[in-house]
Amino acid sequence: MKYALLVAWREYAENAKTRGFWLGLFLFPLVLFLSVQVPILLEQRATPVRYFILVDPSRGLAPAIEATLEKTYQRQVLAALKEYARKNAAPLTNSASPRPAPSLEDLNEADAQALETFVAKGGEGFFLAQIERRLRPGAPPFQEPRRLFQQVKLPPDINPKAGLASMADELKPYLRQDKLVEADGVPVQLAAAILIPPDFQNQVVRPQTRSPAAGPQPPASNQQIQYWSANASDPRLREEVERAVNAEIRRREYLARGMDAAVIQQVEHTYIPLVSLNPKKEKGREAVGAADMVRQWAPSAFVYLLWVAIFTVMQMLLSNTIEEKSNRIIEVLLSSVTPGELMMGKLLGIAVVGLTMVGAWMAALFGILSWKSGGASELIGQAFLVLRTSNLVPVFAVYFLLGYLMYAAFILSIGSVCNTLKEAQSFMAVMTLLMMVPLMTMTFIPKDPNGPLARVLSWIPLYTPFTMMNRATADPPLIDLVGTLVLLLATTIGALCMAGRIFRIGILRTGQPPKVLEMLRWALRR
Amino acid sequence: MGAAATLELRNVTKFFGQFKAVEDVSFSLGSGSICGFLGPNGAGKTTTIRMILEILKPNSGTITVLGRRSALEVRHRLGYLPEEKGLYKKMKAWAIIAYFATLKGMTRKAAKRRAFELLERYGLKDFAEKPTDALSKGMGQKVQILASIAHDPELVILDEPFSGLDPVNQQVMEDLIRDLARRNRTVLFSTHVMEQAERLCQRILLIAKGRLIFDGSMAEAKRTVPRRVRLETEDDIAPLRGLAEVSAVRPAPRANGELDGPEQPGPRAVPARSTPPRANGQVDGPEQGSRRWELELRGDSDAQVILQTCFGRGIRLKSFNQSEPTLHEVFMRLVGPEAKEGAGHE
Repeated sequence: MKYALLVAWREYAENAKTRGFWLGLFLFPLVLFLSVQVPILLEQRATPVRYFILVDPSRGLAPAIEATLEKTYQRQVLAALKEYARKNAAPLTNSASPRPAPSLEDLNEADAQALETFVAKGGEGFFLAQIERRLRPGAPPFQEPRRLFQQVKLPPDINPKAGLASMADELKPYLRQDKLVEADGVPVQLAAAILIPPDFQNQVVRPQTRSPAAGPQPPASNQQIQYWSANASDPRLREEVERAVNAEIRRREYLARGMDAAVIQQVEHTYIPLVSLNPKKEKGREAVGAADMVRQWAPSAFVYLLWVAIFTVMQMLLSNTIEEKSNRIIEVLLSSVTPGELMMGKLLGIAVVGLTMVGAWMAALFGILSWKSGGASELIGQAFLVLRTSNLVPVFAVYFLLGYLMYAAFILSIGSVCNTLKEAQSFMAVMTLLMMVPLMTMTFIPKDPNGPLARVLSWIPLYTPFTMMNRATADPPLIDLVGTLVLLLATTIGALCMAGRIFRIGILRTGQPPKVLEMLRWALRR
Repeated sequence: MGAAATLELRNVTKFFGQFKAVEDVSFSLGSGSICGFLGPNGAGKTTTIRMILEILKPNSGTITVLGRRSALEVRHRLGYLPEEKGLYKKMKAWAIIAYFATLKGMTRKAAKRRAFELLERYGLKDFAEKPTDALSKGMGQKVQILASIAHDPELVILDEPFSGLDPVNQQVMEDLIRDLARRNRTVLFSTHVMEQAERLCQRILLIAKGRLIFDGSMAEAKRTVPRRVRLETEDDIAPLRGLAEVSAVRPAPRANGELDGPEQPGPRAVPARSTPPRANGQVDGPEQGSRRWELELRGDSDAQVILQTCFGRGIRLKSFNQSEPTLHEVFMRLVGPEAKEGAGHE
């Protein structure tokens, strides 16, 4: 055993020096970091403020649009304020001083009425004052979110009295960004212009006026509400405007038909929430939340990690074995250690290389998630929670080790009979092909984690580690859990024994690699 | 020979499938000797060596190494340099030597110290920290040789230690082997270079087609080839043919440089036509009418008898030369015909 450990130590030390190892070590954390950080950065920085001009000579729709945009902004402020409170203020306790009503924490920004309450109470200023006493010492000041859409005035060289058609022509250079408009004295690019014709009322399309025989002529485009923009890829402002205008038109329609404004508002604030429930969950806690989504999909990420980890260390094992064989170091080694010790040492050394890599990945995963979970994204917080509370990491460790050992048995057999990497390539092509299956089924299994595909694949030892990892959070039947594990264990032990025999014979051979059948004969001899 | 033998093979046979690689080989080595393991390509040398080291298992027969039936039990006391040389490309020279020494039971610390010590002694001090793929082939081979003896083994088995070394390093290698023997270590080495074997070995093992065809001292080996006398004369040599000491007489080839002219024992002697008159008073070089003859002597016969007969019967000698056979001749005579067949599985 001492010699196996010596071999293992060399394998580890030498592999830890290779470029591939360090690349593997850092690539995953880097990708993870970027995939978490880049969307946040893009959200914060890269989406520019959209400056727009709203021309509504009749002032018929402008107030409604402005109000809607303001509401959208206030919703952002409320969300940011709650996030700020969550991070920087002590939580409200039920027993302590009487709960203020309304308290910031009770307001749901998705609820229209809550939003109105927020605005009516005085918005940001009022609620900042409310949480002020609870703020942790040293908490940073609250930063208002940026207004994504900002209205600017018509440039002075454009006659506001001119007709919409000529105004549109005059605005074109600004919209093409050949000319800049001014916002708070700073020249900025104009993103959009919304032109509302004074007779927009006539353009409203009503069901009863649209008879199939003689419908109204489609309005000429210069009489419609016009949304001018050179940027077609960011439709958010257009959608906001469209929503605001249509809500306003409908409100007026209700009024015109004799409905009470207060009633209309109440109707508008009426909604029914839908809750997703999972029958497998504990009674009373069946509600499906973001954490459950994460729980369902997180295993797929682990399957991918498992696959990459096993594939990486397999490559290392293969190239090491072939190096020793091709330059005949193997003979010196075999005059010092038994083939069994050599194989054990190699298996162990590379396993530790793999575990180091996987450990670094897990550390990075936890590190990045815990660093980010306090902040920008709720999803990351949930992912972190799932990671901490589920058995994903221990399951991953078990299946990594067993999967590695099983695949290593194949690799050692291949490596021991091939003199060059080139010779090994045809064997490896088959291995890679076999290993593609879990990658391809990875995204299907979470949709039906205990379905026939998942169960069948679980019982094929080659795919047990990947498939069972994939089903890790789906509570597979006990028979699957234990049965496949026992089968995998038995297969791994069997494969290693056979690999040991092939290794002993193959490692000293020179010349053409043997046929697979011949290798099987070696493996089964005695 | 019994328990004292460092290495003993008894009726060792090894098959590869139907092919009989080694057949019924028996020999035994005492300690402190240098033994040359000779034979043509594919004769079974490497297979025998691998069996001694228990890398391969014989089909039948027994091998006793340092008193044990298993080389693995005494692997710490064995050193081995395989025929095909190779090193881990990315490892540093000292680290490789130290690694193999630790596999032979040395502590990591002692192994490292020993590695640097050896590299310094054999002129590779400056390359100790270099990865081995930065070394020349010869240097790499030296590193490998040092790796095989770093743990100061009692039995050192070197398969083709001289191949790939320049003359200077061949000399270093020879010194190293002699040094091992001087410290009572046993060295078994295979080689195709007869001069080296001749200079180094006290003992010769000759193997051909898997069979051990000679086992004995260097002197015994040379005795397998009749000693020869070459002479040059214009006179009739009929009286010499009748001598009991002479087993064969034949004309010596003239054009062939190897047999033409006087020879001294050993391969270093390159005959020079213009050398001054020799001790026997003869001027060399063929003259008109003179012929060269080669006489083979029977057994331990004294070449003086021929000289006396020549004087007695009035045969005027232009040259007379008595030579020891070289190991090369021994080799050619014992395995020459078989070596030409060249079939090889080793």
